[in-house]
Amino acid sequence: MKEQPLKEITQLIHAIKVGLVEGSYNITNKTLDIFKYIIMSKSWQNADALMQIVRDQCKILQAALPQETVTSNIARRILKLTREEFDLLHAKVQHFADDSQASLSLHKLVTQTSESNVSVDYSVPQHGLREALLDHLQEVETELETSSENICVQAEEHIHSSEIILTLGHSRSVENFLKRAIKKRQFLTIIVAECAPACRGHNLAASLASEKNVEIVVIPDAAIFAMMSRVNKVIIGTHSVVANGGLRAACGAYTVALAAKHYSVPVIVLAPMYKLSPLHLCEQDAFNMVGCAEDVIPYDSIPAREAKVYSPMFDYVPPELVTLFISNTGGHAPSYVYRLLTELYHPEDLEI
Amino acid sequence: MPGNAVDAVATEKTRDQIMAEREAKKLAKQAKKHKTAPTPTAATPAVLTTPAAPATKIITEVEQTTITTKLTTTTTTKVQDAVASKTTQPAAVNGKDVEAGEKTREQIKAEREAKKAAKKAGKGGGAKVEGITQQLADLKVAEKAPVAASAAPSTTEADQEKKKPALSKAERRAIQEAQRAAKAQVQTKKAQSAAKAPPSSAPKEPKLKSVSPTKAATISSPGKCPASTPNVDCRVKLFNHLVCAKEDSQFINDPLVHPSIARLGVQYAKRTVVGSNARCIAFLHALRQVVYDFETPAKKEFGRSLDAAVKHHVDHLHKCRPLAVSVSNAYKQFKNQLTQLPADVPETELKELLVHFIDTYIENQIGKAAQAISGFLQEKITDGDVLLTFACSSLIQFICEEAKRRQVAFRVIVVDSRPGCEGQELLRRLHATGIPCTYVLINAVGYVMAEATKVLLGAHALLANGYVMARTGTAQVALVANAHNVPVLVCCETHKFSERFQTDAIVYNELSDPNQLVRGDKCQLSNWAAKGKLLPLNLSYDITPPELVSAVVTEVAILPCTSVPVILRIKPDIGY
Repeated sequence: MKEQPLKEITQLIHAIKVGLVEGSYNITNKTLDIFKYIIMSKSWQNADALMQIVRDQCKILQAALPQETVTSNIARRILKLTREEFDLLHAKVQHFADDSQASLSLHKLVTQTSESNVSVDYSVPQHGLREALLDHLQEVETELETSSENICVQAEEHIHSSEIILTLGHSRSVENFLKRAIKKRQFLTIIVAECAPACRGHNLAASLASEKNVEIVVIPDAAIFAMMSRVNKVIIGTHSVVANGGLRAACGAYTVALAAKHYSVPVIVLAPMYKLSPLHLCEQDAFNMVGCAEDVIPYDSIPAREAKVYSPMFDYVPPELVTLFISNTGGHAPSYVYRLLTELYHPEDLEI
Repeated sequence: MPGNAVDAVATEKTRDQIMAEREAKKLAKQAKKHKTAPTPTAATPAVLTTPAAPATKIITEVEQTTITTKLTTTTTTKVQDAVASKTTQPAAVNGKDVEAGEKTREQIKAEREAKKAAKKAGKGGGAKVEGITQQLADLKVAEKAPVAASAAPSTTEADQEKKKPALSKAERRAIQEAQRAAKAQVQTKKAQSAAKAPPSSAPKEPKLKSVSPTKAATISSPGKCPASTPNVDCRVKLFNHLVCAKEDSQFINDPLVHPSIARLGVQYAKRTVVGSNARCIAFLHALRQVVYDFETPAKKEFGRSLDAAVKHHVDHLHKCRPLAVSVSNAYKQFKNQLTQLPADVPETELKELLVHFIDTYIENQIGKAAQAISGFLQEKITDGDVLLTFACSSLIQFICEEAKRRQVAFRVIVVDSRPGCEGQELLRRLHATGIPCTYVLINAVGYVMAEATKVLLGAHALLANGYVMARTGTAQVALVANAHNVPVLVCCETHKFSERFQTDAIVYNELSDPNQLVRGDKCQLSNWAAKGKLLPLNLSYDITPPELVSAVVTEVAILPCTSVPVILRIKPDIGY
């Protein structure tokens, strides 16, 4: 039988679809609120029941919003939290000291197979689990709130004065990051590729132009290669980071990354931890979506009648084109992403 | 009043620039004294144009110096260019007149009119000059009384343009004084020129222009003043050396420009004639009209005077929009043809020869070349092929139509880019012939590249180091194609081969109107000029490195990019 979505979940799906909630950060925040509400509710009696509810609701979200991977990411975080808290409480009850608090060490991962065979029975009601979970959730919330700021702080470590930086489209992380860089460093030149057909790059450019001591150059997407020879760094945001360290980013990011590779320009990707998803995708057909083509060519024009017109939303950028990820916890190489994933999520929750 | 204007315009001057100004002033004074004898020192081009009896030798010198100064001045603004060419042209005409040593009735009439105008200017000059900014005045003077007055003002003006922000009080004062002195000089000179103009061997062109000097000045001045219009120069630092396309300005009636050329100039500037083939054909057609209508001045050689006239026309076109490689190659060929004209043949026959040359050039270099290239490519296009192309190339269109005629089952992916959206035109044309098409914007090129079996690209020019100069975005398409291991074929006729070497798209390029990037009034970019630091940039061309191109298809053969110099060597008549 199919699980019914909660009222809050339907509301959230609707809000996202209509465009009331935009941006990965806002969506993550809202999803987290819902899960918090679920945890607070009395509808579950033991950890197993809670995990089942979270899984079901997450599946509904996933089915309704396949492109928004952050919702399942946050669900995985909740599942991991539940497991951890349960283990901890269980251990306390059993009076045996478990040293493996939050982190799953590599050693433990290797040796886990034998351990997991023992498989903990989560259906045992555990006193104080709810409180512990809510406590821990508070931490996650704070982490989420400060993630943007934590990324910004690293701007100084990566940008020197008189640098020429290229970015694409409009990412909020990039906007904040560059604003911080502009404050700290002088004579920056920021080249913004407009990212047609939505041209959100214009918004970023307008927003950055309000700062002092900076030159903002807006270029059409076609000029990326021409300008790349003068660029020192490419800084882009991403929609999500997949398990192999590749990106699922705004359309055009692939060209930018390729051009950067051609000129050996470092590509820095700003990705807060909640954008890391344990999905193994290595080509765009696995996740891409096509948007409205009206902006590409007007529907009423003669050639539009017969021609196939595409307006894809995402690009897959392979990990070899990315130099560095900057997350709220620091910098990471693309080859390290798998490790971050094992720290973030429980191996059993990779498939929800 | 003028001082204020100077403050506004030139906010910074270095010490040696002031020195240069003083020098110029001195030279101007000297020039005034030696009105009848040519000035010995060749300090500035403007000074050199003043001499009353210029010999041809000096003129070539003048031209050379203007060219060198143009090259040396770091900020070559359009105005400067305009002034420079304006000052050289009269000199050239001037020289010829003197050489010929006689004046036609027309010229005398023109002179008289000019005298009147100059007198008028001399009278009303003071008030007018005060009314407008100093720079406008300078320009006006340069146009009205070029013989006498162009020396001092044009140099100061050129100096002014070089420097802009921030200078100390003392420096500012010095500049103001220099300006005042220069102005005073100009006015006294104007008076003198009114009297002296006719004896000092009046040049033809400026005279004709001066029929309604005030009008011309007021109409043309707003566009020309660098201070009043912010987008005359590209303000992106990397592209300071390039001149930005302007919408209006400088299409003042120049009676020496043939109507067909004038029309073509406007078409070039407004981008109604685009694409290097189209531009070349349009140019050659206009040139043919010029040849037809050309009347050799009395006691002049047909070839030489036509050469001078055509040069003037080409300069005009260049001012409207920098010449395409194809056009300048065609022009060089034409010039070459002019020098080889037989001597003792009547003018009408010579004209026939030239017109025949132009027609065959169009037929062979463009028409037959396209057929040959298409012939080569037909072997490459087979059933089931998916051709990917970028923007709009007449040659690609021709090839696709030919393949369709052969009833090959293929389809075309047209990749396009804002702001030009020229691909829509290609899409329309291909649609008309019934070829199934797919259309995407350039950032989605990775999305469709997997389907493509071949990438066909048009080119603006092929450079001698094997780089392909083409519409911006071409390099990007080639790059993505390379990443997907799709062969990239560049189609380019040999008349577009250039002897220039270039390794990036920044040194030499063309800037289109940045306002094209603005999408409607709601766009965040609208009113960017007022926002100061927000600079849209609209590059016209980019450079594709040879390693991204599998082969170049020319009418000679299918070659690797790096064989361009070979073609240039074995076929020396194309490209110089």
